[in-house]
Amino acid sequence: MTMALNGKSRVPPGFRFHPTEEELLQYYLRKKVAYEKIDLDVIREVDLNKLEPWDIQERCKIGSTPQNDWYFFSHKDKKYPTGTRTNRATAAGFWKATGRDKVIYSNSKRIGMRKTLVFYKGRAPHGQKSDWIMHEYRLDEITDNNPQSNVSSLAGETSQEEGWVVCKVFKKKNLHKILHSPQSLSMTGEEDTQMLHASRDGALDQILQYMGRACKKQNELNNGSNSRHAGPTEPTFANGVHERFMQLPPLESPPLPPLHVNSSDQTSYLISNDGPDPNQVHQPEHVSDWAALDRLVASHLHGQSEPSFFSIQDHDLPLLHLRSSNDVDLWGFTRSSSLVPDPLCHVSRASI
Amino acid sequence: MGEDRFNLPPGFRFHPTDEELVVHFLYRKVALLPCHPDIIPDVDLYRYDPWELNGKALSGDNQLYFFSQITQERISPNGYWKHLGVDDPITSASQTVGFKKFLVFYIGEAPVGIKTNWVMHEYHLLDGATTSRSSRRRGKPRIASNEWALCRVHESNCGDDGIELSCLDEVFLSMDDLDEISLPN
Repeated sequence: MTMALNGKSRVPPGFRFHPTEEELLQYYLRKKVAYEKIDLDVIREVDLNKLEPWDIQERCKIGSTPQNDWYFFSHKDKKYPTGTRTNRATAAGFWKATGRDKVIYSNSKRIGMRKTLVFYKGRAPHGQKSDWIMHEYRLDEITDNNPQSNVSSLAGETSQEEGWVVCKVFKKKNLHKILHSPQSLSMTGEEDTQMLHASRDGALDQILQYMGRACKKQNELNNGSNSRHAGPTEPTFANGVHERFMQLPPLESPPLPPLHVNSSDQTSYLISNDGPDPNQVHQPEHVSDWAALDRLVASHLHGQSEPSFFSIQDHDLPLLHLRSSNDVDLWGFTRSSSLVPDPLCHVSRASI
Repeated sequence: MGEDRFNLPPGFRFHPTDEELVVHFLYRKVALLPCHPDIIPDVDLYRYDPWELNGKALSGDNQLYFFSQITQERISPNGYWKHLGVDDPITSASQTVGFKKFLVFYIGEAPVGIKTNWVMHEYHLLDGATTSRSSRRRGKPRIASNEWALCRVHESNCGDDGIELSCLDEVFLSMDDLDEISLPN
């Protein structure tokens, strides 16, 4: 079966451009930075500063089928000639990075990084957050074994603030839409409240605890950045951060799962609570603390860690609904944490 | 079974919308119309546990697709599919053309099985959809035992596949509201 794009022919029904992160980096971006021809022009080149997110879908559409995500190449330019920051402002707003970059692996080899950005309308620092999300992928390989690698000399070895990136833009799912779907009618307000309380406190404690460890890991990474290796250096400062997380005041009600001080205990906590697939959880800790944290958040979101969820699960609720309710819960507990600004200030200070 | 046969560039895969599944694939199947591409196989779902479906169903983006004849007893060799009780309507051109049921796989015997992460979306045509367009707006559909459903099975987890925001991303996103707190970046 043959296909072409841009109206000449079309993709078979049901098929879409839905690349994996590995395909984006290993196939499309590698070809782009090496000036290799890409068979089909499915990923356009875009000047991010001249394109508002709501125009991206028209500019980057593939064929005529409906899409939920859009892809483009962008060349990152520095904001100031002497600085290291990237200029991601448009006429109507700006893209702001959130969270922490994620390492992308291929066959357990590091191939690149992913940055998550949110579009704000207006001008910093008074922008208004929108639902537009961008994942920006850059090549970033560990090239010790292959110092002559073309890709690394073109993209990886230069600063992460310049060069070609491949981006995916999508709109964050609207919570209200899900909430008002028929499923939510099956839940009573009482259960809802119960669910909100169930995963709030324990989850936040565990997240903060993990953040302490993540800060430690980040610290190690920073210290070892010259050699591009994460070396076991300078644990003292990081341990101090960790200690501070241990001493956080309890939020509202006593935390449900007790805090474990050493990391092996945390692992066992995850294994014993994270659903029926222990293989998925039981990864060596050095793989990624962030992955573990993500699973932890997920397990709390899915309510698998809290005994009070069992009664709810007996009520024939669709999974979709459990998920959506817990999303609300997630926002709820982060909001509640804003009432206790101190612990989060620790995060901020510790990480700078 | 996958999309290899189509010689599509990297990144193209079977990733249909609900509407496409019902209107293009299920409708044509039930109406005995030729389906192009004819890629979704028939599988007797209840002969297999979900982890045995790989290779028998069409796989695309970690989802398994197949047609199965509708039965009320969704029992497999080692467990059963439990219907979660609520159906979602599928619309096309503002008309309801079908609905999807949500099911979860339990290991063991009902009702005391152990819940798994295997989830099934079972797509049905509205009764009468294949005979008369005007009859589509009827209420609760009657299910004939010889009808086909289109099943989509996957093992769910809140993994970070880059497709959606991960749960952790959501946490960071909401923390951005808390007065410019910056985490290591």
